[in-house]
Amino acid sequence: MADTKKKTRNGQSEFAMIWKQLKKNKLAMAGLIIFLLELVLAFLAPLYIPYGITEMDPVAQRAAPSAAHWFGTDNLGRDIFSRICYGGKYSLTMGIITILLSNGVGIVIGAVAGYFGGWVDNLIMRICDVFQSMPGMLLNIVLCAVLGSGWFNTILALAIGNVPGSVRMLRASMLKQRGAEYVEACQSINCSTPRIIFSHLLPNSFSPMLVGMSMGMSMMMTMAASLSFIGLGIQPPIPDWGAMLSDARQFIRIAPHMIIFPGIAIAISVLALNLLGDGIRDAADPKLRR
Amino acid sequence: MARYFLKRLLWMIPIILAVAVIVFTLMTFCPGDPAVIILGSTALESDLQAKRVELGLTDPYFVRLARYLSDTFIRFDLGSSWVTKVPILDSIKERLPRTIVLTIITALISFGIGIPLGVTAAVHQNKWQDHVSMVLALLGVSIPNFWLALLLVLLFSVKLKWLPVSGVGGLKYYILPALAGCSGAIAAMARQSRSSMLDVIRSDYITTARAKGVPERQVIQKHALKNAMIPIITVMGNQIGRMLGGVMILETIFSIPGMGTLIITGVNNRDYPVVQTGSIFLAIVFSLVMLVVDMAFAAVDPRIKAQYANSAKRKVKTNG
Repeated sequence: MADTKKKTRNGQSEFAMIWKQLKKNKLAMAGLIIFLLELVLAFLAPLYIPYGITEMDPVAQRAAPSAAHWFGTDNLGRDIFSRICYGGKYSLTMGIITILLSNGVGIVIGAVAGYFGGWVDNLIMRICDVFQSMPGMLLNIVLCAVLGSGWFNTILALAIGNVPGSVRMLRASMLKQRGAEYVEACQSINCSTPRIIFSHLLPNSFSPMLVGMSMGMSMMMTMAASLSFIGLGIQPPIPDWGAMLSDARQFIRIAPHMIIFPGIAIAISVLALNLLGDGIRDAADPKLRR
Repeated sequence: MARYFLKRLLWMIPIILAVAVIVFTLMTFCPGDPAVIILGSTALESDLQAKRVELGLTDPYFVRLARYLSDTFIRFDLGSSWVTKVPILDSIKERLPRTIVLTIITALISFGIGIPLGVTAAVHQNKWQDHVSMVLALLGVSIPNFWLALLLVLLFSVKLKWLPVSGVGGLKYYILPALAGCSGAIAAMARQSRSSMLDVIRSDYITTARAKGVPERQVIQKHALKNAMIPIITVMGNQIGRMLGGVMILETIFSIPGMGTLIITGVNNRDYPVVQTGSIFLAIVFSLVMLVVDMAFAAVDPRIKAQYANSAKRKVKTNG
């Protein structure tokens, strides 16, 4: 008992516990390093890419990979390697920001629903029911149409669609905690409700939140790429990877390299996020802690 | 049980109504003037105005909402597309079955491969079978299905010329979309089946079953798998939901005239009635799937069944 109290006194030490556990997991660390490396490469891209992202090479349109163009060129003769490196800053950040936004909102709503219960909980949950009775992709497509295209609008559309899920997750964890003795103790010494929720209950819901967020990131990244792919998310000329694939689709017969490289970029990033997410899930699982 | 089923079925009515209101409201706030999109940007202002009046776009929001809801849910008149003038009911009758068939094929392949793969991995934990299945599963969840679809087209249609690139026809037109759509779900099913089998396989009653001489095959299939099914069914439900969404994207890649292409072209053309009604139908299908999943819980787990029965009894008592 004393042991668990020490571990979960505040969010920091819980985080430290998970981090300590995560560091031992080689695959998860590989995922983290790959993803961070990709981020650094993407943000430093203007310093090292050999061609400008809109620079067209009129003699090498849809050229296959060569020494001059490592990943070949696209239909307008733009260098695919440069575009992938530069576009990373859009594609890679979407998943993270979407998850942070939707969970930020979801945490507050979920905490309120879970703590108060009764009609507040009922109302919030019924609203979530409505949003979750549509396939997620459908909701995202409609939201994208309403908000318009662009990097931030796509993030906003994905985040709104993802809020009900995070509300549910946090509510479930709140319901588990609500009856705990320490909550009763807080109430009896007259802690204010926001204080109970935000400084006592939330830190104790830290691990399920972190697991949910880390598993969600890769999914949101794929979703963002799918939306750009069907022409709703980020639009050309911004070299988002999904948008590049969308451009490449019509040239599948004559220039297959155009679909290979952006796809590999997406797959590697999603794989890295999945490895990290799996690692965090295992690290946060007390059953697997040794 | 039947009571609970009926209650859930009735509960779908307000949910679907709410979905209709939300989609209608969202489409109202969509940027872009449908009249301009239908008549073209060179149309005269007087023609545009006439078109807006014809489509009822000049009325206030609440009047339009009320008219839309009463048309759809009271008079069952789904209207026609603003762009193609085709009655929406006809398009849905033609397209919804394709989307459902594709989703069902994808689901059957995913569950048929994913669950055995996960069970095998769990039974042979830390042996090569386990490692191979889990590496495959990790790749499966990481490769976006629209990219896999393009790769499959490249290999089987462009290079090998075995399968058609796009369109609809016989079963062979569904092979590539289903393969592309199932990879992620196979992987998710395999991962979930493995972890819930591992949870169960160490239980005392499994040891008991083995000790009393039940053949290993039967221990796994009858004793372990049945108890591991609850979390697996949850993931099944989630996956079918995601498939319905993923199929929308795959339909555009393979030019399958299904609900996905209907809604996505509707969104691009600001064809409000098509998007609204299409979304309602997809939401109905989706809600029915979720209902079936919840019923499946009760079918495999007597504890949940008992819960439903108890809650019904308690209600009766408090009412009386």
